[in-house]
Amino acid sequence: MSNPLMEAVDLRKTYRMGRVGVEVLRGCSLAIGSGEFLAIMGKSGSGKSTLLHLLGALDVPNQGQVTFHDKPIYAPPTQRRFRPGVLDTFSFWEQSRIRLRRHAFGFVFQFYHLLPELTVLENVLLTRMIGTPWLRWGSRRKKYDERARSIIERVGLTARIKHRPNELSGGERQRVAIARALIHDPQILFADEPTGNLDEDSGGRILELLTGLHGEGQTIVMVTHDASVARAADRTLHLDRGVLATN
Amino acid sequence: MYKIFLTIRYLRKRRIAYFAIGAVTLCTAMVLIVSSVMGGFLDKLKLKARGLLGDVIVRGDSARGFPLYQELIDEIKQWPEIVEATPVIVTYGMMKFEDSPSVQTVIVSGIKLEETYRVNAFKSGLFYEQHYPGTTTFAPQQQPVVGFDDQRSARKETPEGTIILPVLPLSLADALAKSRAADTNEDDVYAGTRLNEALAEYNLPLIPGVFARGSAPELSNERPRPGFEGEPRDGAIIGRDLVAKRLRDGSYRRYDLLPRGCVVTLTLLPISDAANVDTPIKYPFRYADDSRTGIYEIDSQQVYVAFEVLQKLLQMDAGETIDGDPIPARASQIQIKVAAGVDATALARRLERHFHLYRNDERFNLTFDEKLLLERTEVVTWEESQAHYIKPVEKERQLVTILFGTISLVAAVLVLCILYMIVLQKTRDIGIVKSIGGSSAGVASIFMLYGVAIGVVGSISGSVLGTLFVVYINDIQDLLVWLNPAWQVWDRSVYSFDEIPNTVRPIEVAFIAVGGIFMATMGSMTAAWRAGSMHPVEALRYE
Repeated sequence: MSNPLMEAVDLRKTYRMGRVGVEVLRGCSLAIGSGEFLAIMGKSGSGKSTLLHLLGALDVPNQGQVTFHDKPIYAPPTQRRFRPGVLDTFSFWEQSRIRLRRHAFGFVFQFYHLLPELTVLENVLLTRMIGTPWLRWGSRRKKYDERARSIIERVGLTARIKHRPNELSGGERQRVAIARALIHDPQILFADEPTGNLDEDSGGRILELLTGLHGEGQTIVMVTHDASVARAADRTLHLDRGVLATN
Repeated sequence: MYKIFLTIRYLRKRRIAYFAIGAVTLCTAMVLIVSSVMGGFLDKLKLKARGLLGDVIVRGDSARGFPLYQELIDEIKQWPEIVEATPVIVTYGMMKFEDSPSVQTVIVSGIKLEETYRVNAFKSGLFYEQHYPGTTTFAPQQQPVVGFDDQRSARKETPEGTIILPVLPLSLADALAKSRAADTNEDDVYAGTRLNEALAEYNLPLIPGVFARGSAPELSNERPRPGFEGEPRDGAIIGRDLVAKRLRDGSYRRYDLLPRGCVVTLTLLPISDAANVDTPIKYPFRYADDSRTGIYEIDSQQVYVAFEVLQKLLQMDAGETIDGDPIPARASQIQIKVAAGVDATALARRLERHFHLYRNDERFNLTFDEKLLLERTEVVTWEESQAHYIKPVEKERQLVTILFGTISLVAAVLVLCILYMIVLQKTRDIGIVKSIGGSSAGVASIFMLYGVAIGVVGSISGSVLGTLFVVYINDIQDLLVWLNPAWQVWDRSVYSFDEIPNTVRPIEVAFIAVGGIFMATMGSMTAAWRAGSMHPVEALRYE
């Protein structure tokens, strides 16, 4: 792939379970092109979500590097810190990852992960709220509000805009999560088993939505264990015990 | 922006936070109440103690007093820093009212009334002087008695006949009319006298105080006229708690048996040069007025008489030895009022040095003993003279405030526990916020702001609650007493002050409120740190 949007090289991740180290990823390399819909498949415990978290700058690999627009997002291996401290916020590498999560990446999780205290609109706006300095919020609020409402309309939840997550079905919650992931126009949308917790109908609608987004040029990286879901992607990678294999 | 937004949302939705706010509220209110009541108590104590003293006091360490007081007064009155100076003699004695079988030990002070009025607030504490201005004096006086005056006495027609009501002697009636015009009457002046009970029955103006023969309206033909009776005797001013009974509500019930002008005999013990107690002297005075400072220890022991009279009775006046050598007059103290803005402490030191120079001044030709008495005088400010009285209360106040402040750490711990619990409950939310771009510091600051918000709301409500409680503390106590008399906390017949001190200082409120916010913020720090340090992936997977 020439000039990929994101590239991962030799990613390795080991979790410590007490004194025992569990090697979850054992040298994964991949490239993601702009506008691509990539599915990563694998059994439970194969390391799919871990790989997605490393690609999405949510976790730090023990070895290897991820580049986004040819820029590394992790510090050199000897300088990496695996547990974020409050003061790490001010380190260069952590700040750059925070910027990516705020402006370039969007996440959709299997269990929706919406804030129960907020309405649909507030949950969607939260991403923008986090990414906007408070001094500029006043002047941009209206614009963001309109954008949030249009996305909510796009996912078909206008009638539910003032509802809280506990008043929505699973499929509706996942659509809110997709709307939240899209409000800041992310360059890559990471979806972790987006249909894994839904019935067939709801899952189908979510998949339709993702396919539609891909049709509009949205780059999507989706993790799934369901082959029928993976078929919606342009390309599928199989992860088996921490090692990637092309379909 | 999201920090404030989420903080407010969590505050509104997490009801458990109300417990933390409640704890901060109660602790803030508690510290404020304790500090204000103790501070008010201290202020009142200072004010009352101050009212009896000059700004600066020259005092000796001997019951025999010290010489050359008048020479010093005459000299320092020329100093621009000195407004007034007056000598005082203090001794112990026994007091017995003519018609009462009880004998009380008292502290007798010889003062110059007019000078004392100018030196301190003594005049404002005099009962009869307030209601009958210009009538209180140490000069020989007779007993004022009420009587019936055809022109001034009120008449009431009743089925039993015409009732004529007694009136005061004309001079006192005029004085009373003046004070009534000045509206200086107190609420407690009428309590208990039979004359006033009768006047009240006929809706007539009451007569402050107790006067002889003032028992009832007159129905018979025998109508003694109002006036002054008995042998003229020197006046004495008596502490109010010696002539009236302080009631639980803080007012006084005057005894009908102790009318103004009744004879009171003081038994005094002159002390010779060799410290021998000479023959006790019994001297009759007339009860001219009563004084109230508000401090029970003073009002239940003090009797004031004319300086010159006491000086003579105690043989402290000027005289001559058998050999014809002069003996200088002595006094126990000099009370001095200094001009506004003068540093009283510096003046006291200067005055002491100056007075001690008198020892070797050839003008005075003092004996060895007299020099010793003079050398042992000290000059102190009123605060220094009352330090034994005020300092312990100041220390108690500090101690109690620190103790209650320490107890308030409970609020900080409670905030910590509750916020820590909320952080655990919100672990997934923390993961979500971090996954969509929230920084560790940002997440930590949500919970810090949460703690600050708990502190601000708790401290403000605690300050309001504490202030209201302090302001209405006496009403609250009255309510408690009304509900159950056994719940009386502040027994006005026992404590020095009529009312529980209820002064709230804004600066103190601000300080305590800031302390409350600080405590809550400190309490939130651990929880905030924990929230900020959470790994986003682990937080998202938390169950």
